[in-house]
Amino acid sequence: MKKGYGRKEFIINILSLVLLVILWHVLITLARNDIFNAPFIRLKDVPTPLETMNAFAGSLFAQTYGPALTYGIVDHVQASLERVIQGGIIAFIIGVPTGIGVGYSKLISNILNPVIEIVRNMPPMAWIPLAIFIFVAGGSIFIVFIGMVFPIILNTVHGVRSTDVRLIDAAKTLGASEAQVVTKVVIPTAFPSIIAGLRIGLGVGWMAIVAAEMVIRSPVGLGYFIWNMGDLGRYAEMVAGMLVIGVVGYIMNITILLLQKRFIRWVD
Amino acid sequence: MGRLVLKNVSRRFNGVIAISDLNLELKDGEFMCLLGPSGCGKTTLLRLVAGLDAPTEGELFLDGKKIEGVNKECGFVFQEYVLFPWRTVKGNIEFGPEVRMDGKEEREKIAQHYIDLVGLRGFEDHYPHELSGGMKQRVGIARAYANDPKLLLMDEPFGALDAQTRNLMQTELLRIWETEHISALFVTHSVDEAVYLSDRVVVMSARPGTVKEIFRNDLPRPRVRTSQEANALRDAILRSLGAEIKRAQSK
Repeated sequence: MKKGYGRKEFIINILSLVLLVILWHVLITLARNDIFNAPFIRLKDVPTPLETMNAFAGSLFAQTYGPALTYGIVDHVQASLERVIQGGIIAFIIGVPTGIGVGYSKLISNILNPVIEIVRNMPPMAWIPLAIFIFVAGGSIFIVFIGMVFPIILNTVHGVRSTDVRLIDAAKTLGASEAQVVTKVVIPTAFPSIIAGLRIGLGVGWMAIVAAEMVIRSPVGLGYFIWNMGDLGRYAEMVAGMLVIGVVGYIMNITILLLQKRFIRWVD
Repeated sequence: MGRLVLKNVSRRFNGVIAISDLNLELKDGEFMCLLGPSGCGKTTLLRLVAGLDAPTEGELFLDGKKIEGVNKECGFVFQEYVLFPWRTVKGNIEFGPEVRMDGKEEREKIAQHYIDLVGLRGFEDHYPHELSGGMKQRVGIARAYANDPKLLLMDEPFGALDAQTRNLMQTELLRIWETEHISALFVTHSVDEAVYLSDRVVVMSARPGTVKEIFRNDLPRPRVRTSQEANALRDAILRSLGAEIKRAQSK
């Protein structure tokens, strides 16, 4: 079904984005001139694409007003990314071995499954109030961890369980011990799934961090930035921040997909 | 080395008798083919010898040593190749030496030797999905040999290949086998293949599987597939096998 990505596809993709921006501009302009207004929505207050771009450019870097310092979008992105990476590393370190254990051992699966099945259905956002009072610091990192660890565990379990039993037989007849079967057959089999789990987890973690930053206050972070700009009525900056979230999330996803292609050469 | 003895071997699965009271002896350096109707326990028999499965009754011995647990003296060649898809040709062949903790130099020496032997020079760094069926099975054979086994177990290794590649691979297998002479137990559905390859052909009975008849095959190698003697042997085997297939179907 899916064929390569060529010039034609690229042009269509770009056109669709351009069209969206034009539509956005037209809608806001019509609303501001009282020509057309969508019911129940105050489109007038929404910034136009151009205003958003200006706001983005104006708040990209940190600025000082006398003794006061305001962080730029760059700082906010960096702060949010750092939290996602920290939470992600912890989620990976805990999630992958847990997934291997659950996928490979019936006993571990029976012990951990009830916990996993209940806790994974509690959205990361539901943990925010708890995180605020149990963590002196790093509450938002914990929220990222909660968001990321379950996609990683579940994908690892899936990868481990998809191991071809004949490959295990082959490894055993070639002299592999039980431990070598895990390290040399089960883990390589699960590797693409583990990376897929990491990718899905990063998406969830990125959403979770923005929500967490809106509630767990710190002076930097994209979630804080958007909330603060909204509070101050600086809607152009707020929308710019929202778009930055989308673009950064997209870049993270693409990066992992490229790494996957680069390092998993055996899948055709 | 490579003398296999099966004594009164039976294997039951949940009340179904797959193999019943089977006695068989494979001489040192002998090439034996197993023929039989589908479901007569040929694959089960190979798995018992490999120690991947244990008999319900009876005992198996390789060079006088009882087979208990996975038998690491066997090289197993599978019908669907069963190569490690994330390992290159070289990586697959090195698997055995690697888990036995051979040094890197030693491993590479062994791998290169068998890559050359099976005619895969130049394909060392290819992944299995980049290879044809025949080449994949060359890797499968080299991987089994690289572990320095006393006995080769082959479960319809050429069953998934087209007829021409199959004939070519039979000739190749004999060439390799004659270079590194070890005992071989070869399961097949093809009487033609059995007559071309083996020193003895075992026809197994319909389930419960046991030895029905053993045919000696002393035709000198290289064999001519269409010679009169080969045809006569084929005819005799087909008759014996045909009766069992009929029995299996009437059940």
